Amino acid sequence: MLGYLFMIFAVVSAILALVQRDLLKAVILTGVSGASVAFIFQILLAPDVALTQAIIVAAIEPAFIALTVKKTTREDV
Amino acid sequence: MIMDLQLASLLTCGFLMIIGMFAAIFIDNVIKKVIGIAFIEEGVNLFIVTIGYKAGGVVPIILPEMDPSWFASNAAYPLPFGLVLTSIVIGASTLAIMLALIMILYKKYGTLSAKELLKDRSKEAVADE
Repeated sequence: MLGYLFMIFAVVSAILALVQRDLLKAVILTGVSGASVAFIFQILLAPDVALTQAIIVAAIEPAFIALTVKKTTREDV
Repeated sequence: MIMDLQLASLLTCGFLMIIGMFAAIFIDNVIKKVIGIAFIEEGVNLFIVTIGYKAGGVVPIILPEMDPSWFASNAAYPLPFGLVLTSIVIGASTLAIMLALIMILYKKYGTLSAKELLKDRSKEAVADE
């Protein structure tokens, strides 16, 4: 049951990340989507992949994108 | 509506790939294009892991008290998991390269809009001279 919740959460936060005007909010929602996919991996019997996903996609990639946003400009359009 | 966990997971990765493709094609901001490419990659990883899933199975780690034949027929298929680990790390490094190129483009042209970046600049260069 928890798996379905996190699937909905991953898709909804992915959609919300792309409609934000503020790019930092988009970065945080990208991390939320990655963390939800890590939970789905855990439920699909792949705990090793879930650990890697939680570290790299949910933490390091948002840090990279946030660094780019800081070096460039924060608002979209 | 009761849905199989594997089927729901396949639907999720389909949605993630569609959202990512939409972002990479139609959104003007280049950082959002990169986020869309990251979503496509996430969807593909989820698809590969879903293929290895076995309903009602166990995690593919064998313990001393387990019977090997029972384990062989009940564990999830571990090969896709090992491959997806590599795929996640490669995805992070390609994302870093794309973002570094975006930083260089912003330093040179001062914009993040793909339309502005692709504009024809030959006339401006002539005017500057």
